Amino acid sequence: MRLDHVTTIAKREYLIRVKTKAFWLSTLGLPILVLAATILPSLLLSMSSATERMVIIDRTGKVAPELKRAAAEEPDPTKGIGQGTKEKKSEIEFVFEAPKTDPAQQEKELDRRVLEREISAWILIDDAALASGRFSYRARSTSGFVTQSIVERRLSRAVQGLRLAQAGVDPARTEELMKSVELDTVRVSEEGGQREIGIAGAALAYIVFMMLFAAIQVWGQQVMTGILDEKTSRIVEVLVSAVKPFELMLGKLAGIGSVGLTQFSIWILTSAVVTSPGVAMYLAFLPKDAALPQIGIGVVFHIAVFFVLGFFLFSSFYAALGAAFNNIQEAQQTAAPLIFLLVVPVFFAPRLINDPDSTLSVVLSLVPIFSPLLMTLRLAIRMPPLWQVLLAEFLTASFVVVMVWAAARIYRVGILMYGKKPTFSELARWVRRT
Amino acid sequence: MTEILELLDVRKSYEGHVAVAGVSFSVPAGSIFGLLGPNGAGKTTTIRMILDILAPDSGSIRMFGRPRQEADLGRVGYLPEERGLYRKMTVLDQLLFLAEIRGIKRRAALAEIEPWIERADLGAWAKRRIEELSKGMQQKVQLIGAVLHQPDLLILDEPFSGLDPLNQVLFRELLTEYRDRGRTVVLSTHGMELAERMCDRICLISKGRAVLSGELATVKAGYGGNAYLITAEGDLDRLREVPGVEQVAITGRTARILLSAATRGADLLERAIPFLRVSDFRSEEPSLEQIFLQVVRDEA
Repeated sequence: MRLDHVTTIAKREYLIRVKTKAFWLSTLGLPILVLAATILPSLLLSMSSATERMVIIDRTGKVAPELKRAAAEEPDPTKGIGQGTKEKKSEIEFVFEAPKTDPAQQEKELDRRVLEREISAWILIDDAALASGRFSYRARSTSGFVTQSIVERRLSRAVQGLRLAQAGVDPARTEELMKSVELDTVRVSEEGGQREIGIAGAALAYIVFMMLFAAIQVWGQQVMTGILDEKTSRIVEVLVSAVKPFELMLGKLAGIGSVGLTQFSIWILTSAVVTSPGVAMYLAFLPKDAALPQIGIGVVFHIAVFFVLGFFLFSSFYAALGAAFNNIQEAQQTAAPLIFLLVVPVFFAPRLINDPDSTLSVVLSLVPIFSPLLMTLRLAIRMPPLWQVLLAEFLTASFVVVMVWAAARIYRVGILMYGKKPTFSELARWVRRT
Repeated sequence: MTEILELLDVRKSYEGHVAVAGVSFSVPAGSIFGLLGPNGAGKTTTIRMILDILAPDSGSIRMFGRPRQEADLGRVGYLPEERGLYRKMTVLDQLLFLAEIRGIKRRAALAEIEPWIERADLGAWAKRRIEELSKGMQQKVQLIGAVLHQPDLLILDEPFSGLDPLNQVLFRELLTEYRDRGRTVVLSTHGMELAERMCDRICLISKGRAVLSGELATVKAGYGGNAYLITAEGDLDRLREVPGVEQVAITGRTARILLSAATRGADLLERAIPFLRVSDFRSEEPSLEQIFLQVVRDEA
């Protein structure tokens, strides 16, 4: 095997893809989407409309004082929260107006003010409403669910306070007694216990897992279409007159794999950058002694190893498919069982996240076809015993060697076969034939 | 003269079907060698075996005076019948890539590419993508790609198919020049006229077997003496009915006729005079096409 052939092929495969607009669109598109998904909603909400003025008519005379107290105490959920920072007042302003003697006339008048956009809504509080717990909220638009939920919560607090007071209970004391409890999740590792948010660890592991899954899928398919392209454009015969089919295939895998690795790195880096405002905001919520899930350099190294192994494993499958068939439709039909193998770990992912060290988790993550995805998932959750990681790497690497060897044989025969779609037994014969 | 390429009883069969049933020939250095034969005769399979793309079932292939070694293939250039280039690459990038897999460094490759591009009149297209080029232009790019590393042996599978007459002339000139620089060219074709104009030596393959080979002049001499040219007025078609006539090719008032070995020219003239007003009758060297047709027919 000549290494210069492999690198020349790999270089072409890499450059031809990295130079396309489509590559940069998909590579930068994902972080932008993440950015949009994490920051835009809160950004939009915080930008939405100026102060909403709502008129409260309290015919009972009992709710308004409670409501004023509740409005003053409550932080605005649509704003960034930071304890200790100057609390931002809600953008919903309650205007308390005295009830008039002619209720019908006053209600008509209020409706008019709503229509003329002087106020955004008005709420009537009377004995009937207080008893039933249903308050009439009259506004031009009734779809502002964020505003409505704030109003609802404030009203509820006020009414609950009133009911408690009527029952002879001190509202402040009740609040203290009714406080809910939280789980303080602590990850126990070699370096000692560390408090962190369990859901964050799982989410991170799942994100890494899905990114790897997507990258293997996308770039594995690229290998297949690349080979089919060479077959249909018939350039392959010129290539195999100059380089060995094995060199050609290896160069392809290395080149396209590097493209995937480039994209993966860009995703990780940019996600880190673009989500940092969101993460910063999120950090403010955390208890002081909690930490974000941490991924050490060793874990990153092993994840990279599994990326490369996973890519080579599935790409060699895809390379064989591309070489064996004549067009993308034929190849994709046969690719279906392969994609199923790739999807199996996705079914098991939740169980592994829940209990990464169970026997099932350990066994599955050692099966070569599943290792790249499932061991990565376990690595992202917490470092498994090193021997398991190394064993998985060794088993997968051995399996990759066998796969690449078999794929290269199919490739060697297949790239010059046009016409008839080969059967599985024919493919097996291609592998056996020297 | 040293032999650049020698095939000895090379055979190849696919499941249940014999593609090449024992082909032997030798190609001397500094010549243009024609591998001739009808479609499906086994030319492409033979070429693929020469290039080690396919392994022969039996027989031996010698290259540059010794059993073929892997390194020898670096001294061979190849234009396959199934032509193709990377559609999305520019002409220049494509040629640079083809040079690079042949181990030529970028700068040297550029120096080599430029004159070829000029010669093939592709200067304005160098930075364009392959998919924007016409088929003929793509074929020129591919020919350049095959000669960039200055191979000692250039193998072309049906190089003239799909070319317009102008480009056919260009290809012919380029290949003749290449031969004149001391290199060897092997080309396969079923276009006998072109082969006749270019080749120094031929091998005729039919149904996987070499049925005729040697120097063009010798081959023709072997079949010479029994071809005639008649220019006459009257029903030239009736010549086909004359006993001993094997082939008749009519163009206008002229008929080229090949007689069986036992028939003499005088017999033909005697029989033709009753229905033709002959203005010219002469003996002619048989064309390669005539030989080809006769050999293939004899085979059948």
